[in-house]
Amino acid sequence: MELKELMNEIRVPNKAFGHNGVTVLTPTSESELSMVLRSAQEEGKKISVMGRGTKQGYGGGMEEYDYLLSLAKYKGIVEHTVGDMTVTLKPGTTIAELQNYLKEHNQMAAIDPAWPDDSTIGGVIAANESGPKRLMYGSARDLVIGLRVVYPDGSVIRTGGKVVKNVAGYDMNKLFIGSMGTLGVISEITLKLRPVPKYESLIILSATEDLLGKLRAFAVQLQDSMLEPASLELLNPTLSYKLLNKHAYSLLISFEDVENSVQYQENWVEEHKPDSTEITQLSLQEAKGFWAQFAANAPNSLQEMCDDAEIEGVLKLGSKNLDVFELIEESRRIQEKYDMKVEAHGGAGHGVSHIILKGSETSMKQAIPHIRNFAEQKSGHAAIKHLPFNLRSEVNVWGEPPSYFFLFKGIKAKVDPHNTLNYKRFIGGI
Amino acid sequence: MFSLNKKKKLSGDRYIDQLANIVGTDDILFKKADLLSYDCDGFAIEKALPKAVVFPKNTEEVAALVKYCSEHQIPFLARGAGTGLSGGAIPLNEEVIISLVKMKKLLSVDYENRQAVVQPGFVNLKLTNSISDKGYYYAPDPSSQYVCTIGGNVAENAGGAHCLKYGVTTNHILGLEVVLPNGEVIEISENGIPDTPGYDLLGLLTGSEGTLGIVTKITVRILKNPQGKQTVLAYFDDVEDGSHAVSDIVSAGIVPAALEMMDKIAIEGVEAGAFPVGHPKDIEALLLIEVDGITAGIEEQIEEILQVCHVRNVREVKVAQSEEERGAWWANRKTGFGAMGAISPDYLVQDGVIPRSTLPGVLSNIAKISKEYGLRIANIFHAGDGNLHPLILFDSRVPGETEKALKAGSACLKACADVGGSITGEHGVGIEKKEEMRFIFSDEELEAQTRIREVFNPENLLNQGKLFPTPSRCMDVKKIVKDTVAH
Amino acid sequence: MLVEKVKNNKPVCSTASLSNYFPEDHPDENKWADCVHCGMCLESCPTYLETGQEQHSPRGRVHLIKSVAEGKIELNEEFMDPVFQCLDCRACTTACPADVDVGGLIEEARGQVRQAMPLTGVKGAVSKFFLQGLFPHKNRLNTVSGLLKFYQKSGLQKAVRKTGATRVMPSHLAEMESIMPMVKTSVQRKFKDVDVIPAKGEVKARVAILTGCIMDVMFSDINQSTINVLTHNGNEVALPKNQTCCGALHVHAGDRDTGKKLAKQNIKAFEDTNKVVVNAAGCGCALKEYPELFKDDPGWRERAESFSAKVEDISKYLYDSGYEKPKSELNKKITYHDACHLAHGQGVRHEPRQLINDIPGVEYIEQSNADTCCGSAGIYNITNPKMAGSVLERKMEHVPHDVEMISMGNPGCMLQMALGVQKYGRKAEIVHTVQLLDWAYQKDQDHGNLGKEKIVSAGER
Repeated sequence: MELKELMNEIRVPNKAFGHNGVTVLTPTSESELSMVLRSAQEEGKKISVMGRGTKQGYGGGMEEYDYLLSLAKYKGIVEHTVGDMTVTLKPGTTIAELQNYLKEHNQMAAIDPAWPDDSTIGGVIAANESGPKRLMYGSARDLVIGLRVVYPDGSVIRTGGKVVKNVAGYDMNKLFIGSMGTLGVISEITLKLRPVPKYESLIILSATEDLLGKLRAFAVQLQDSMLEPASLELLNPTLSYKLLNKHAYSLLISFEDVENSVQYQENWVEEHKPDSTEITQLSLQEAKGFWAQFAANAPNSLQEMCDDAEIEGVLKLGSKNLDVFELIEESRRIQEKYDMKVEAHGGAGHGVSHIILKGSETSMKQAIPHIRNFAEQKSGHAAIKHLPFNLRSEVNVWGEPPSYFFLFKGIKAKVDPHNTLNYKRFIGGI
Repeated sequence: MFSLNKKKKLSGDRYIDQLANIVGTDDILFKKADLLSYDCDGFAIEKALPKAVVFPKNTEEVAALVKYCSEHQIPFLARGAGTGLSGGAIPLNEEVIISLVKMKKLLSVDYENRQAVVQPGFVNLKLTNSISDKGYYYAPDPSSQYVCTIGGNVAENAGGAHCLKYGVTTNHILGLEVVLPNGEVIEISENGIPDTPGYDLLGLLTGSEGTLGIVTKITVRILKNPQGKQTVLAYFDDVEDGSHAVSDIVSAGIVPAALEMMDKIAIEGVEAGAFPVGHPKDIEALLLIEVDGITAGIEEQIEEILQVCHVRNVREVKVAQSEEERGAWWANRKTGFGAMGAISPDYLVQDGVIPRSTLPGVLSNIAKISKEYGLRIANIFHAGDGNLHPLILFDSRVPGETEKALKAGSACLKACADVGGSITGEHGVGIEKKEEMRFIFSDEELEAQTRIREVFNPENLLNQGKLFPTPSRCMDVKKIVKDTVAH
Repeated sequence: MLVEKVKNNKPVCSTASLSNYFPEDHPDENKWADCVHCGMCLESCPTYLETGQEQHSPRGRVHLIKSVAEGKIELNEEFMDPVFQCLDCRACTTACPADVDVGGLIEEARGQVRQAMPLTGVKGAVSKFFLQGLFPHKNRLNTVSGLLKFYQKSGLQKAVRKTGATRVMPSHLAEMESIMPMVKTSVQRKFKDVDVIPAKGEVKARVAILTGCIMDVMFSDINQSTINVLTHNGNEVALPKNQTCCGALHVHAGDRDTGKKLAKQNIKAFEDTNKVVVNAAGCGCALKEYPELFKDDPGWRERAESFSAKVEDISKYLYDSGYEKPKSELNKKITYHDACHLAHGQGVRHEPRQLINDIPGVEYIEQSNADTCCGSAGIYNITNPKMAGSVLERKMEHVPHDVEMISMGNPGCMLQMALGVQKYGRKAEIVHTVQLLDWAYQKDQDHGNLGKEKIVSAGER
């Protein structure tokens, strides 16, 4: 089979984000995938791997590779054993497609990343994406129980399995989750599922800027109580205003459990809410609508860019759980200092924050190191998740590599010795 | 009279004297009688004497020991409490054993950020005991949690009865300090920060059975105690009814904290052991089900569970009425393996995992295996997550019976692998299940794993001969030869 | 096969040519066969916790004992050290899921070691003095008692302490000297012309008590309290004159021959009684384990079995047979320490606690790790002072600072805990549980509440 035969029309992401390909390939089977990789390796070609293209602005990478490998057409459910609560699917399946399918069986994949309609499961796993409910359900690494991975030499390697508990050999799943496609191409995923919660609700606690400390104290108190929130996500006033029409810090407290339990927890929040904070309770439908809006908020590489003067960028930060408050608060200083629009949110219970920046190129170049320094002072880190390619090549996308970077290099060299896949995309240019 | 402190004569062995220089003469064992206690771990079928056992007291000593061994090409391995059930700490190559039991401090607890930092020799249950006054606990609870160390838990990616809801060790490890096999010390996700850019070395090291590095400091997640907890004990006259009840409970949208099952022979064992609770001897299966969470929501879940049990023809079902009763049920369950000693001179515990729905079929296959080998097999089962522990009862004093037991154990694992399961859910591969790795992985897949080992442990001095089937090592050798020729 | 060997009545190891044990009375294969090396015992073992080394752990010791039988090691010093380092506290027996009798194995192994390597030199002399020369001989003990009494009463003790003579003694002996209880007249001497001490009020039962060797010399007031409480609750108390030391210390030390001799004497001395009440946990445990000593002697084994069935700890006896709840208040903060040979050795945990809690006014405080060894372990604190000291230090960490009394059911523990209290600057008084009850009854008597109260019987709880 010629590579050309695999070229198909797909929705091509915005080229300004790089990771483009001279040729676009859209395999529809594992054997095609295997063949593509093998021949690319043999010919010394470079491949950029993509799902539907929401994350082309993520990672270092190159402007153009020999091939852009899109998995958008390699999709669908392979196996779903209802009683075992596991599902096996192909990487191009979108999150929304998966969840809609599972909903019929009253089950769900417990992950809530951005842009469910366009994000594919393969991409979410390769980029280790997660959303606010990570607090209760964990991230992709807690969810994936098995993978099939096509190695650059074309061989297909199974990692994990189809059972929820498994310690046979190294936990190779973990190697590929969050590896940014630099080691292999995920061709099949098995996830463990959860029942759709019987009841859920979302309470929003808003506090004016001077009362952020109270919100923090409340988050501490809530976590020290025996409540079991699904999310405890803090929004900065800019984002809160955009999504909720409230110019205040807002804490998104959601509960998912049986009705009695959810109501008990709602009452608890009501009773313990700090003075001078405002409480908003969303109905089930409103909550769903809100989460959909929340998930679609950040810019992505499928979208057209805004006008030329303004650039959008997204940073992902990791910190200690409660340092999220300071990181989100810092967004105000950045907004003022660099004259940018800054939307920010972070999980007070899981330590992952996102900062969405909008402003001039100059501001962007200054704001990014500012944020990174701030995060690193709190022993955290910051990585660029979304930014046009030209700017990415001028800033440090991942931050400084750790002292043990040689292990990353070693792993890359063992698995992808010819740098066939997503070359230069990940930390330290691996 | 017999003080430990008597002046030890050094061995006269150059290597041992050097190792003693690193840790001090009180913290090294090299006499045969002393070494004998280290010739096996919780897997007592294979035994080998170590060269020496050293007890470092801090990371620097571990690093120095490792560096010395590495420079002098002395094989070495790390050991915690030695409760592992797959032989991961058995010194097959006359290793120097680096015992981490003297590094047993709880270094810090950060309640607000829900993390604790421990040394590897810190005992699992002690963590929960140390933080319980503030209402917190450490979730992974292997049955050996009274004695096993968190370092060992990391090596084996230990599970436990409550991992159905809360996950296994890997889901609770936030950061690690590791001494690599060349003696270099690295710190991964210092301060337990999530999603550190780079490959997920935390995930890779957890469960690597001590073949990639020696963990010297561990940051773990701690959780707030659930507000309420209820435990149900259900007796079934038919194993199949019991297994259907398991599926029904999960399908009803309930996520129990634990869902355990024991069959008739297992019940005979625990009732003969040290913690009997008076289970009827004539039932075929019992389920131990625990639901925890917000108290207001537990009652209806318990009601639903009781209903499911009745629909599945339960003989008797009861809810624990007190903490004592609950404790007694769990003590009975958690000491289940050891209790087999009371009904059999030896036992071999297996650790297969199967998709829940295949349980009745697999159980009947295990019954066939039992018949075929003429050995009784008890089943203790983390039913909720499909983790089956067939306990093969045998008498090693009967010639040939140990071999028979091993074969029967392997056959049980084959039965699990055949339905798409795994050969180990929480005990690890060690030396016990090396060959059975072939039931689930191809040569190519095994090689993909050994290639990762080469990155960390290129000389394979650290815990060699574990985890991977032997011929695969030949493949390594071939590969090394190939690589050398190529360069 | 083992079963057949037993059937043919041939000793197992005498046919197994590899074994390095003496053919007589060697460790019992069936005992170690129960051990599956799971390691659940590790954290219960005080010497393992102290050393971190597995040869000093229960499973390590069992493994070594097995290894001698398998011919892997010899009965030598390397084997002796771990086997004699054991406190014999039996905590492992409680922790073990398979009920392995580690204590029994250790004692058998010690017997073997002593056969292979009889104690010589100073150690031998000291050991011989205490174990063979002193404890089994009532008269000699009484002489020592007299000397001790003289030492204490005459002011010599004070004088010695003042001069600092204790400073030249080895430190652990000096420590022991300083906590020596005041010696009073032994009950055996006091009641030497009485066969049965009558019950007060209606007679419910007749029991015999083991007065003990050291107990009756150093702790005769506890024996007196035991008699008081028993008679108060309608028990006639017999004090068989031919009884002797229980032999526990001998068996622990590997001197099984003396142990057997003493056992036989006691079995005979108590032949006529239905109940043998013991107030020293270590002795009670030893009496209950007599059958183990005669495992190769069927005739005596049977007699030992029927004897040991009659043995009961005082707290358990009172709990089972019923006792009067005192009326008078004892306003004290009290914690309870589980003697190893009561909790682990005899499974008696709840009964003494209940006794204490039945005394009005008592503020009972449970201590964490109440059932870990204090380091006394018979004469272990004299033979292995360093280890005993570390174990005591650990123990004292768990004793609440604000208690006024620490109650327990074993004289050895009382001495060791007294040492702990003194060494770590605590204020608590060390008492035997039965003394608490006795004092409360005495208060009742003083207040005229004499014997009017209902007796709580076991069935009513």
